[in-house]
Amino acid sequence: MKTLPPRAFVNHLVMYSLATIVIGGGMGLGSVWMRHQISLTANTNRILETQIAEVRRHSEEIRTAVAEEQDITVLKRRNEEWHLGLVPQSQEQVQAVLVNPMARLAAKRNRDIFPAGVESVSFRVAWQH
Amino acid sequence: MSKGYASNGRVATLAIIVLLVFGGIGSRLVWLQDIARDRWVGNVEKARRELIPSFARRGDIFAANGSLLATSRSVIVLGVDPQSERPEDRKKWPELAELTGLPLAQLQILLTTKYRAVVKGPAKPGGLTIGFNAVPQADAASASSAPPPAAATAALAPGDPGDDESDAVLDDADSEGRRPIRWLKLCEGLPPSLYDRIVKLGVRGVYGQRVYRRAYPHNELAAHVIGYVDKDEKPAAGIEAYANFYLRGQNGWVESEKDGHQQELAQFRTREAPATDGYSVTLSIDTMVQDIVETELKAIAAKYQPQKATIIVSDPHTGFILALANYPTFNLNEYNKIPAAEQRNLRDAAVADMYEPGSVFKVVTVSGALNDHVVTPATQFDCNLEKAMVDGVLRRLPAENVGDHFGKSTSVADIIAASSNKGAAQIGILLGRQRLYDWARAFGFGQLTGFPFGGETPGALLRPAHWDGLTITRLPMGQSVDVTAIQIHQMMSVIANGGVLLRPQIIRQIRNASGDVVYRFGPAERRRVITEETAHVMAHLLYRVVNSEVGTGSKAAIPGFEVAGKTGTAQKVIDGHYAKHDHVTSFVGFLPATNPQVVISVIIDDPDAHTTGGLPTGGFVAAPSFKRVAEALISYLDIRRPVPDFARGTLALEGGRR
Repeated sequence: MKTLPPRAFVNHLVMYSLATIVIGGGMGLGSVWMRHQISLTANTNRILETQIAEVRRHSEEIRTAVAEEQDITVLKRRNEEWHLGLVPQSQEQVQAVLVNPMARLAAKRNRDIFPAGVESVSFRVAWQH
Repeated sequence: MSKGYASNGRVATLAIIVLLVFGGIGSRLVWLQDIARDRWVGNVEKARRELIPSFARRGDIFAANGSLLATSRSVIVLGVDPQSERPEDRKKWPELAELTGLPLAQLQILLTTKYRAVVKGPAKPGGLTIGFNAVPQADAASASSAPPPAAATAALAPGDPGDDESDAVLDDADSEGRRPIRWLKLCEGLPPSLYDRIVKLGVRGVYGQRVYRRAYPHNELAAHVIGYVDKDEKPAAGIEAYANFYLRGQNGWVESEKDGHQQELAQFRTREAPATDGYSVTLSIDTMVQDIVETELKAIAAKYQPQKATIIVSDPHTGFILALANYPTFNLNEYNKIPAAEQRNLRDAAVADMYEPGSVFKVVTVSGALNDHVVTPATQFDCNLEKAMVDGVLRRLPAENVGDHFGKSTSVADIIAASSNKGAAQIGILLGRQRLYDWARAFGFGQLTGFPFGGETPGALLRPAHWDGLTITRLPMGQSVDVTAIQIHQMMSVIANGGVLLRPQIIRQIRNASGDVVYRFGPAERRRVITEETAHVMAHLLYRVVNSEVGTGSKAAIPGFEVAGKTGTAQKVIDGHYAKHDHVTSFVGFLPATNPQVVISVIIDDPDAHTTGGLPTGGFVAAPSFKRVAEALISYLDIRRPVPDFARGTLALEGGRR
C-alpha cells in the first residue's frame, strides 16, 4: 500500500482545514447576512405598516372633516355666509302633471291617423290558446 | 531532559485547584442551566418578549342616504410617567404648558404627582377604593430650582386631566399604601405637528398614545337614535349599544421581542393575530328627513316651549323609520358635558316615555267596531246623551271638548272627523270591554313594539277585569291607557299599510370593512290587525278629519295630497287628577290617503302656557307642524299627487303588451 509522504499529508491537512474554514466561514457569513436581511425586511415591513396606519388615520381624519362640512347645519351656515341664496324647493315651484304624459304624447304623435278629439283608442285583446 | 520543577505534591495541588475551578464553574452552570433555569428564562422572557396589542377600529354608522353619522377618529392622548421626571427638565415646563394649553400650576401638579393614595371608599362598604386625591412628591418639588407648585398640596379638581380613574395607569400599592402612577393623562386630541414639537422638547416621561375616539360629524342630529360611546369605548345608548356586536370589531396582537431601548425587534415576531375592524351599520334614517324633523322641533320649542316633543316619520309599507327626533335633545360630541339637571335630555322619549293619547286612540275604537261589523261609517249615534247603559248600569259619558257641539244623529264618520268623545264612548260600549281590550292589544298597545333600543316601555293597558265602571267609556277616547309615541305611530301605520302591523325597524344593512353587505334587514310583519277593506274605510274616515268641514285636523291639509290623520288632545294626569291647563297635543297621520308613502307623528307635551290665538289642541298646535313636515317631505321624497288610473287607456297605445 502506497502511503503519502508526511509533507503531502500536511499539505492536505492544511488545504482541508482551509477549505473547512472557508466553507464554514462562508456559511456563517451567509447566515449572518440572511439574518440581517430578515431583520431589514421585518423592519421595512414594520415601517410600511406604520406608514399604512398613518395614511389610514389621515384618510379617516379627512373623511370625518368632510362629513362635518357636509352637516346640514354647516351647509345652511355656508349658504348664508357666502350669500348663495339657496332655498328648499316649495310646492309653488312644482307643476303637477295630472294627465298621462304617455297618452298626451301618443295623441300628439297620432294626430294625423286618428280623427280630431280622439285621445286614446282601446282594442280588445284576444288570447289564443 | 529535566524532570521539571514541580513535585508530585505541587502537581496534585494544581490539579485539585483546576478541578475545583472547573467544578465550581460546572456547578454554576448546572445551577444556571438546570436548577434555576426557569427563573432566569422567565426573566429573559419578561425582559425581551412583549405582546403588542393592535386595536380594532370600531365600525361606522351611516344614514340611508350615505351620510356618515358616527365614525372613529385616531387621536393622540398625551400623558406623562411621573416616575421619569428629571429636575433638569423643569425649565422646559413653561413651554410644555404653552404647547399643551394647560395652566403651568396644573401641569406642575401632574408632573410631580408620583403616587395616589389608597383610601377607604366611604360609599362602598366592605371594599377599598382608589382615591383620586393626588399625593404630590414633596422631595421632588423641593429639590427643584423652580418654585414648588402653588397648588401642590391640593387635590386635582373634578374634570381636570388626570382626575378620572381612566386617565391614569397605576402600579400595585407599595408598603406605605401608595400606588405609584405610571402614566397620567395630560391632554388629548393633539394634532400630529404639535405632538412632534412636544416630542422635540425632550421632557423625559412625556409621550403620547394613539387611541380611537368616537366622532359624530352631525352633532345633535338623530342623537337619540345613534346613541354614544363613552371615552372607554363602552357603548352607552342607541344604535351604538344595540349594534355593538357588529360595530366593535376584534382586537388583535403580535408576540414579539424588544431590545434594550424598548424598541421592537420585528424579525423576532413569532405569532400574530391581526385586528378585525368592526362592521359598519347603515340605518334607515335619512339625514335630510331627520333635519326637516329636527328643524320643526326647534320651531315648536321656540314657539310653545313645551316640556317635550317628538316627531316620527316612517315608511308604512316596510316599517323603516326615516326620522325620529325628540325635544329636548343633546350634542353627541358633548354628552359628558350635560349638567345633571338636564340628564333627562338623554332619554329617548319616543319609546321610553308614556302619555295618555287622547282622541288619537279613537282610531282603535272605530277600526275595531268597523272590522267587527258593529257599526258602519253611516251608523248614527246621539252625541247629546249624558249617560248610557253599560251592563245594566247607567254610566256618565265623557264631556265633549270645549266648544264642541254634536247633534242627536251623528254618524261614525263625523264622530271621528269631529272627534266626539260621547260618540266614541258609545261605540266602545257597543264593542264591549273584552273586544275593546282585544283591539287595543291587536294594535300593539300594552306591549313592546320591538323597537330595538332606547329602553322601550310597553305602556299601560289594564285587563278588563281590572277596569272600573267608567273605563269602558273613557278608553275609547284615549283615557285610562298609557302609550308611547312609537306605539301611536305604529297604530297609524297599520291603517296606512292596509291593516298589517309591522315591527318598527331602523337598521337597513350591516357591511363589513370591505363594504360587502353581511346582512340586510327587511320588513318584519307581526300580524294582520284589520282587514284591508276596513283599513281603506278608515283611511277615508281619517281623510275627512283633515278635509271635511267638521274635521278637527284642517290645519294639516295640503291641497292635492290627500292628507289623512287624527288629532289628539289629552289632559295630563298631575297628582292623580286630570289637569285643566296641561295637555299632550298630537297629530298622527299619513299621505296620500289612497297610496300612503309616509306616516308622520307629531306629539307635543304641554304647549299650553305659550299657545296664543287658539286652544292648545292637536288640531291647532300639532297639525300645522305635521303640515310643514309633510310639505318638506313631498319635495324631498318626491311624493306625487294621486292621479286617476289611466293605465287601461294606454294599454292599446302600448300594443297590448303588459
